[in-house]
Amino acid sequence: MAVAVTLVRMKVAILRHSLTGQRGTMAVSAGSVGALLAAGTIYLAFLDGDWLAAAFAVWMLGWIIGPVFSGGGDETLRPEFFSLLGLPPHRLAAGLLVSAFVGVAPAVSLLALTGLVVLGVREGAGPALVAVPAMVLQLAVFVLLSRVAVGVLGIALRSRVGAIGAGLVNGAILAFLGQGWVFAVALGQAEGIPPIVRYLPSGWGVLAVQGDYLALAAMAVLIALLLGAWAALLSRRAGAERASARGRRPMRAATALDAVLAKELRTWSRDLVRTHQLTFALAYGVFFAAAPLVLGWTGMLPWAAPIFIVMAAAMTANLYGADGTALWLSVMTPGSSDVRGRQLAWLVTVTPVAAVLVVALTAVNGGPWPMIVALSVALLGGGAGLVPLVSVYALVPGTDPQKRGGNPLRTSEDDGALTGLAYLMMVLVAASGVPAGVAAALWGWPGVAVGAATGAACLWWFGALAERRLAAQGPELLHMMRTGRRPAAAGKASSAFALPDMPKVQRAVVITCVSLGAIPLIPQGILAAVFVANGQLGHSWFLATHMAPGLRYPTAAVMIALGLAMYGTGLGIMYRYKKKVVYDKSPNV
Amino acid sequence: MTAALDIAGLTKSFGEKVAVDHVELTVPQGSFYGLVGQNGAGKTTTLSMAVGLLRPDGGSARIFGADVWADPSGAKRLVGVLPDGLAMPERLTGREVLTYLGLLRGLEKDVVAARAEELLSVLELDGAEKTLVVEYSTGMRKKIGLATALLHGPKLLVLDEPFEAVDPVSAATIKTILRGFVASGGSIVLSSHVMALVEQLCDHVAVIDGGRVAAAGPLKEVRGDATLEDRFVELVGSATTGTKGLSWL
Repeated sequence: MAVAVTLVRMKVAILRHSLTGQRGTMAVSAGSVGALLAAGTIYLAFLDGDWLAAAFAVWMLGWIIGPVFSGGGDETLRPEFFSLLGLPPHRLAAGLLVSAFVGVAPAVSLLALTGLVVLGVREGAGPALVAVPAMVLQLAVFVLLSRVAVGVLGIALRSRVGAIGAGLVNGAILAFLGQGWVFAVALGQAEGIPPIVRYLPSGWGVLAVQGDYLALAAMAVLIALLLGAWAALLSRRAGAERASARGRRPMRAATALDAVLAKELRTWSRDLVRTHQLTFALAYGVFFAAAPLVLGWTGMLPWAAPIFIVMAAAMTANLYGADGTALWLSVMTPGSSDVRGRQLAWLVTVTPVAAVLVVALTAVNGGPWPMIVALSVALLGGGAGLVPLVSVYALVPGTDPQKRGGNPLRTSEDDGALTGLAYLMMVLVAASGVPAGVAAALWGWPGVAVGAATGAACLWWFGALAERRLAAQGPELLHMMRTGRRPAAAGKASSAFALPDMPKVQRAVVITCVSLGAIPLIPQGILAAVFVANGQLGHSWFLATHMAPGLRYPTAAVMIALGLAMYGTGLGIMYRYKKKVVYDKSPNV
Repeated sequence: MTAALDIAGLTKSFGEKVAVDHVELTVPQGSFYGLVGQNGAGKTTTLSMAVGLLRPDGGSARIFGADVWADPSGAKRLVGVLPDGLAMPERLTGREVLTYLGLLRGLEKDVVAARAEELLSVLELDGAEKTLVVEYSTGMRKKIGLATALLHGPKLLVLDEPFEAVDPVSAATIKTILRGFVASGGSIVLSSHVMALVEQLCDHVAVIDGGRVAAAGPLKEVRGDATLEDRFVELVGSATTGTKGLSWL
């Protein structure tokens, strides 16, 4: 127990030091959202055990796949810290497990699990008593599943096959979550929640409270098994990832641009983290678009290509940050074609896959050719332009590839910023496709010309902007990468997208408005209007297409207005505080 | 004659801490210049500013008369740099790194191929043709870094801790290359905290302490009759150095 107590104290100390300032605010906002979700879960406990079991299944999924998107999950205490102490793996695993219960996410999950107590109280005194140990065991199952999933993924990412496999699985899971409505409708047709949900490990707590005490024992056994698996994974984690050692094709480049292209293409194929990112984007696009097949609807299939392109851009949003301090070579060779070469490499990597998706899946659905082709062309150009631009303007300092730890998913110390960057990129790239989408909806094939024009403009102009920024601020960006910190003062290189200091309420409003504003604006507003204009009614995804004839355009218009209002509010508040910061600082400058 | 490297009043602060405080250094053409100082004395910061990798708060740096910040392409063409602990294009092999950088520097394809071949074989990296730089040992990383610094035929080399973690055999190879470079008219600035090494290689030396130049000039003038190490301790060491033991040993 001594090990566990020491580790818990260590973690509390680290959290106390790190949960200040902006990171503290982030943790508070995340905690508040989590508490809301937990309250929702508890509410379900008043309805029915099956609904509660279904909610816990979602929590469990969150625990398993959450770490994939937040850079490998909670790594406050890393196994590597203790590798020289010679602790037996199972004691280290047990200690790390106990310390894993300290934190925001476990606290929020425990709150959600009090739903079990509510359920128990409704059944009687005995079940209420059972609910308490069930709650703790259930939380242990969640935490351990999460750790084992990260461990397995870490091992998988040491080989190419593993990286591809992990990307496929993760993309599929996230896509199905995003398309939850499809399965909700399918379940609705089947009437009620299928019994299997109750028998998933996430439902065992509910089973125990409902009188099936065997479920408690089953949880204990599962915990023991997972702990053993985790201990085994911890002892295998010591080494860093291995790249493949197959034959190297000689570099045939003859110009500076070709050299950058060759370097980037090799990095795309050899860095397993990048392989994972691209496979993830592909799996996400394909599974997201294919999910409605469950309902026998092929209409979404052709959208796999645009979704893949947007996702690929989002995953690669920190292009420069991922290379770490290698930026010094670009700083030392002014005038080299670094940005252009990277744009070209991004296109060479993404375009063939997108083209295959466009042709194959649009053919399966029998159209709409102009829309899909126009969007894909526009998004490819938009992505190739925005990826280098965003990655130099909103650079998140990455961990140098040779210094990455045993967790290959963790490419930066600042994973909250990485996630934010991915969302920002999604919105920006999607927006770059809007003109082409509208044109294709209104006029058909000429939309492709519009897409080619906006794509080429994004590619050229954003690339030029990125190049200029890199030339002007290269040393500052390098310094940021070297120290892992943004310059503390209102330095020129500080991210253009960084939130200024503002009170917590305002910050929460800004974050909510900016991150959710795209939903009413783009799919529910602009796209829905496009569908209404096309006469594609009853489109399951888009509210306006379900409305009575007179209300369709007004609904879309209200959605667009709502989206614009959200962005206006968010950006307005941000602008006000940015100005305030400048005024406050100006007397000292 | 124009100095190979002329540093005038370079200054840099990080927050409250003044890392480099009005450093003045002149590296004559053809000299082998050693920069010595304790950890955190400001050696790396000074060298980073001198070659254009870090923007100074004040002062200037000129490489053969070309201002590093006003005429970056003119200045950077003439210098080869080996920074300490920065990443390379990690997913390339050594030969690929050299090919990539040579082309980036605007060299002809054939020239790059020939120089890469020679560098790899002299630095004994040709046995690791299939190894990516990310898998290199620390010593190998230093060697490939040195190769990239030499590739485009610079007239000045700026090397930050080039011998750290390099095995004795490789160190001897590197010393031979560096001496040859100076003998053929090139100039070198290197930083180190190994006094014996600086004494053995360099003809000029500067002692940096607390972000300032404590002493600078030809090696013989700086060290006088003592050894460089004694002189160094005298310049920067506190009185208690070496007197404190450990209580349990």
